[in-house]
Amino acid sequence: MKVSLLAGAALLLFTAGCNRLPGAPKAGVEEVPRPDSITSFKTLYGQNCAGCHGDNGRNGAAFALNNPVYQAWIDDASLRRIIENGEPGTQMPAFGTKAGGMLNDAQLDALVHGMRSEWSKSDAVSGQTLPPYAAAKTGDAAAGKAVYESACARCHSDAGNKITDPTYLALVNDQTLRTIIVAGRPDLGHPDWRSTASGHPLSDDDITNLTAWLASQRVSAPGQPYAEPQ
Amino acid sequence: MRWLTESYKWVERRVQLEAPVKDAMLHPVPKNTASWWYVFGSAAMTLLMLQVATGILLALIYVPSAGDAWNTLQLLNHEIPLGWFIRAMHGWGSNFMVAVVLIHMMQVFMFGAYKFPRELTWVVGVLLLLMTLGMAFTGQVLRFDQDAYWGLGIGASISSRVPIVGGPLVNLLLGGPIIGGATLTRFFALHVFVIPGALLAFVGLHVWMVLKLGVNEWPMPGRPVNRKTYDAEYHKLTHDDGIPFVPGALWKDLVFSAGIIVAVAVCAAIFGPYGPTGQPDPTIIQTAPKPDFFFLWIYAVLSYLPPSLETPFLLIAPVIGIGFLLVLPFWAGEGEKSWHRRPVAVIVLVTVAVLWGVFTHLATFTPWSPKMDAWSGSTVPAKIVHNLSPVERQGAVIFQSKQCRNCHSIGGVGGERGPALDNVASRMTEDQLIRQVIQGGGNMPAYGKNLAPSEVTALVRFLGTLHPAGQPAASDASRTAAAQFGAPSQTQSSSPTTSPQKTQ
Ligand code: HEC
Ligand code: HEC
Ligand code: HEC
Repeated sequence: MKVSLLAGAALLLFTAGCNRLPGAPKAGVEEVPRPDSITSFKTLYGQNCAGCHGDNGRNGAAFALNNPVYQAWIDDASLRRIIENGEPGTQMPAFGTKAGGMLNDAQLDALVHGMRSEWSKSDAVSGQTLPPYAAAKTGDAAAGKAVYESACARCHSDAGNKITDPTYLALVNDQTLRTIIVAGRPDLGHPDWRSTASGHPLSDDDITNLTAWLASQRVSAPGQPYAEPQ
Repeated sequence: MRWLTESYKWVERRVQLEAPVKDAMLHPVPKNTASWWYVFGSAAMTLLMLQVATGILLALIYVPSAGDAWNTLQLLNHEIPLGWFIRAMHGWGSNFMVAVVLIHMMQVFMFGAYKFPRELTWVVGVLLLLMTLGMAFTGQVLRFDQDAYWGLGIGASISSRVPIVGGPLVNLLLGGPIIGGATLTRFFALHVFVIPGALLAFVGLHVWMVLKLGVNEWPMPGRPVNRKTYDAEYHKLTHDDGIPFVPGALWKDLVFSAGIIVAVAVCAAIFGPYGPTGQPDPTIIQTAPKPDFFFLWIYAVLSYLPPSLETPFLLIAPVIGIGFLLVLPFWAGEGEKSWHRRPVAVIVLVTVAVLWGVFTHLATFTPWSPKMDAWSGSTVPAKIVHNLSPVERQGAVIFQSKQCRNCHSIGGVGGERGPALDNVASRMTEDQLIRQVIQGGGNMPAYGKNLAPSEVTALVRFLGTLHPAGQPAASDASRTAAAQFGAPSQTQSSSPTTSPQKTQ
């Protein structure tokens, strides 16, 4: 009798506590969710973007997306369009299913919203007006050369960090250059548009002209392995 | 209590089981067989009973239809009280059963227990092993999740390679040319009626023979089996120096079986049920299905075989393996039982066990398959990114975007199909890196047609930075010399000391 009572009590305890055992499946958590039903920003970013844009949006080989200046600068539509369709002329792939990628509309939205809520800061540009995201006209390369000399040359003249290297210029498009000039790469120590030139922020015209000059440094057959020394 | 005794007597008067049961329990066994080595057979049977009991509970809820199977498992996992635990017991019980049956078999092999007069016991045992594996496979299919789906697909494609009957065989297995509702009902019938029925019948026969022929005596070197004298020797051994089966040997069986059940319960409580993993949807291709652990070795072996040998291996190896097991007791039915006098048997067993272990281990982390999401998910270590020039950083981006990372790790992250590249620059010169990228080689694809010259250059410049801090990158001595003494003109390039390239 005693034994069966004890056994009964043990069973009761076990049943009550069993959902706290380590092996008990967690409610609401699918063992392996369908890949197209994942909408967690952390997971989506970690699986699809971190490889190039870095853990948590910085220190990656490609542009730092967690830069608050960048988040203040780019509008939702452009951001979503780039993720969906890629950035032509760079290695940024198209992720939208319509463009041959693996992410559906809900997931693209989740990425845009996630970036905004995780990485944007209200005081990112402290009241200053940002130049527009896209250049409105074609720039004047000659004027751009002067901007380069005054704003960029002091940091970018060494062989180790040349940005006029034709191989580099062949691998980025004009918008990428504009993005780096405006938003900077704080994770690598590259300043944003406010502080590259001493004393004043670069104007929209400065940036457009500078980009035009950099673009004019492109060559017709860039990156030949045994080309002339640069 | 009197009525109990009365009814017992009434039943016994009619079925008359008491005498045979008593006989079986009290039959003498050689004293030294009351050893911990002899407990695996009974443990396998205990596990079978556990599987039957938990299986019946699961069958109360499980619906074997393509649309419902996955959902009923979710129901068991989340809604039914202790449902997950029963699933976990059944899943882990299956693993333990396969393991215990294999260990039992190895023990029987080592102890020469398959020799005269127990040949048929062994043959039935081999059939029991096959049925146990059959249960494990069909059970895995009933989970009807991603792993099951692809496992079945692979099983079907193996069957389809059987000459002549391949096609009809697949039809029979799947209930049609493709995996569908009919497939699941077929496997349900196999798993719940056909195989268990046969399994129980054969277990009965197996145990019957064990009781009738007696437990195999502890093998002694220098006491070979001889068909003419064995029976008399065994009789003498059991009657002069034997003990009754109950309780002499049985208590160890009971203790071990109880221990096994506890072990299953602990595993179930800690590790939980198997899956179900993702839904069985053929449109989901981002999946790396893997079989349960006892079939993992096949997966590893197939990955290492060249494709042309796969079919022969799949079709011939099992026939040889099973054939060997079936023929063994007839081919070596007499002679020494002791492992001290059977070096070949020992070597065979150890080799098979080690190979099995190695292949299973390899299959758990599949170094041969590229990691399909490394290119977009594994970051280039921040320390490296910070020390790159803009061109080299673009090279790192190309390294990711061209999916080199899926086969090559940096900083310990990435695929393992090709060598880790953390220090490539200290073992390959720029020219060699260019050649490797453009032409590939070994198991690496050639990228020449898929990369623009600027992409190759950036990529190779990036790879050129990958060397330990204190150690310079590998360089081509002829180039250094050329740089020092002035490059000779191209027309002289037939002379061995000149370099065809210009200096950098
Ligand atoms: C294969 C590498 C790679 C992956 C993976 C990748 N990107 Fe990019 N991305 C780039 C490159 C290269 C650029 C161009 C900028 C640069 O060169 O740094 C870029 C540019 C962008 C830009 C535009 C920056 C601008 O100029 O305004 C956005 C936004 C962006 N990526 C978002 C994402 C998101 C979100 C993901 C994940 C879904 C992702 N990227 C995955 C390589 C990648
Ligand atoms: C205060 C120093 C400084 C100034 C001024 C500066 N940069 Fe940079 N820039 C950096 C550093 C640091 C990096 C990151 C290290 C590297 O790539 O060498 C960088 C990187 C870059 C990159 C590569 C970014 C990448 O993702 O690989 C570009 C393009 C660039 N700068 C353009 C410019 C242009 C155009 C200007 C002029 C408007 C400019 N920089 C002015 C410091 C500077
Ligand atoms: C499908 C897998 C795969 C991919 C993708 C791949 N590689 Fe490889 N790689 C290998 C294998 C395997 C080897 C070893 C080759 C051999 O056996 O000689 C290798 C060798 C190399 C080596 C020589 C390393 C050494 O120490 O000998 C370099 C460098 C290299 N790969 C660079 C790359 C680059 C750059 C890319 C992207 C453009 C790339 N690999 C893409 C599989 C791959």
